[in-house]
Amino acid sequence: MARDETKLGAMAWRNLWRNRRRTLITLSSIGFGTMLAIIMTAVQDAQWRDMIDMAARLGGGHVTLQHDEFLDTPTLSRSILDTPSLRAAALEDPNVVRVVERITGYLMLSTAGHSYGAGFIAYDPEQENVETLSILDAVKEGELLKDAHEPRILIGSQLAQNLKARLGKKMVFTLTDKNAEIISETVRLGGIIHTGAPTIDGSLVLLPIGLLRGSIAYAPGEAVQLGLFLEDQRQAPAVAERLGGRVGPGVAAIPWYDTQADLATFIAMKIAGAYFFEAVMGLLIAAGIFNTIFVSVMERIREFGVLLAIGFSPRRLFSLVMLESFWLGVVGMIFAVLLAAWPYYYLATTGVDMSAMIGDGSSEVAGVAIAPVLRASLYPEKFVYISLAVVGATLLAGLYPAWKAGRIEPVESIRLV
Amino acid sequence: MSAAEEKFSVETESVLKVYGQGELEVRALDGLSLTVRPGEFTAICGPSGSGKTTLLNLMGALDKPTSGRVRVDGRDLGELGRRQLSHMRRDRIGFVFQAYNLIPVLTAYENAEMVLRLQGVEEGERRDRVMAVLADVGLSGLEDRRPDQLSGGQQQRVAIARAIASNPAVVLADEPTANVDSDTADRLLEIMEKLNRERGETFIFSTHDPRVLERARRVVRIVDGQIDDDQTRS
Repeated sequence: MARDETKLGAMAWRNLWRNRRRTLITLSSIGFGTMLAIIMTAVQDAQWRDMIDMAARLGGGHVTLQHDEFLDTPTLSRSILDTPSLRAAALEDPNVVRVVERITGYLMLSTAGHSYGAGFIAYDPEQENVETLSILDAVKEGELLKDAHEPRILIGSQLAQNLKARLGKKMVFTLTDKNAEIISETVRLGGIIHTGAPTIDGSLVLLPIGLLRGSIAYAPGEAVQLGLFLEDQRQAPAVAERLGGRVGPGVAAIPWYDTQADLATFIAMKIAGAYFFEAVMGLLIAAGIFNTIFVSVMERIREFGVLLAIGFSPRRLFSLVMLESFWLGVVGMIFAVLLAAWPYYYLATTGVDMSAMIGDGSSEVAGVAIAPVLRASLYPEKFVYISLAVVGATLLAGLYPAWKAGRIEPVESIRLV
Repeated sequence: MSAAEEKFSVETESVLKVYGQGELEVRALDGLSLTVRPGEFTAICGPSGSGKTTLLNLMGALDKPTSGRVRVDGRDLGELGRRQLSHMRRDRIGFVFQAYNLIPVLTAYENAEMVLRLQGVEEGERRDRVMAVLADVGLSGLEDRRPDQLSGGQQQRVAIARAIASNPAVVLADEPTANVDSDTADRLLEIMEKLNRERGETFIFSTHDPRVLERARRVVRIVDGQIDDDQTRS
């Protein structure tokens, strides 16, 4: 970096504090605006991440290994074989932390007097816990499944109510098996799930995977999907691409946003909305900075004339004003970090319980239950983007005033002396 | 040295400066020719609106004439671009303004050294030269004060130090004593006379101040943009 022979940086810094009150007001607006952007982004990041994780835990993980035609034709005949080998291959990827096998589909659940259709997830109790299947945390009555072969099922509270089913009661589920034959199996109600999300409570059934395999003519190790859980959900596309080439023919590696298209669309729309809101906020901040810099330039026309008279070049004047903008941006960013530190820490560690505002339990978006607690978690690169955007906005706001300063005719301004 | 080879500090040749157009046209300078030799201590006087400041602006490369030539240190300003004019002001011309016009965020030392910084003079040499000129104008010990911590006379002395620190071909002083009391004005004039005498600095004043006119060794009177009188004292 070239040496600042004319002390432009120092001059710009000192110029910033010539009108202390105006600078502080501008810094406050930058600070508060940026703090809001940081907190908002952090809350959204946490919310999206939680939703995606929740969807992954309810669906097929962050990345799903399944039959390459299952997405278009989701029937039990589109299964994958030899899941132990596929699991081993998936676990070789450094981003994959857990792999679970599942069979999913639709069935008819009947009691003596009632029948209702429902979606089901058949899982292996030895492979899964709340980290991979979040609704296990919502079993309010009865017990979790302990064995992959036990003849017990867990169902949503609303479904239980519709079926007028009580714990231990005998039930029959009916579905079409792998060979398109209709099969039935008798089980007992082992537990009732209550999440507060209508779709889940009204139409979800959890089955032991071993029992179901036997019923639908699946071989040992055969499943509809392998759900892969990642350290960081943002790695899903990369992991899917890497695994796609390794899992062999007939098996596809699909990231969550393809298996949960509704949720992906919802999040994409929300993110676009958030970016728009942040852009508006950025414009407001930039307008404030522009005002400060422009007024300070207009107030110093005479001084700039003197600087030109003693040998400052127009380019140096331009640089001086741009440096003032730069300092405003940098100090504003520091202000913002100081302002955001406590609220961020509180939201990141404790969070704000919103259940009083949104009612009992959790709410649901695109079929995914979301916890009613507002949390914050900012990805480091987002912080870098925000910082660059703030400094960039201040530089942008300084461009015209700086250009104006560089265009001053010395004789015109000296005439004011 | 023949007259043709003589190098003047400042030379104007048939300079015309017109402001406005048509009925609003004003001839601020009307074919004015003037030469100022190195080491002169010249005052330009005349009634308000006579063209004194316009002449100083042209000599200071702050403005361009409508026609005619202005040369500073032998270089024709009309042939210079914006950047070269900026360098000319930096290297060959010193300015002292009526209202001091120091940079408020810089100390006396920093103000005085600014031109040397712009010239890229090495730090050690810069420090020696600035300390010397500040001593010459009687400001030793006040180097670290900012303009708002100095009296009007002290500020004008900093302005003089700034103007002469780079050894310019000419120092242009526009009413330098107008904003100070008579004692301070006398002190400032003594300093400028001393700098002229001992360092050979060329000073050109635009002034109404009789004290300046008394001390100037050459007085040029301008009326209606033309030289009405030009007297040199021995």
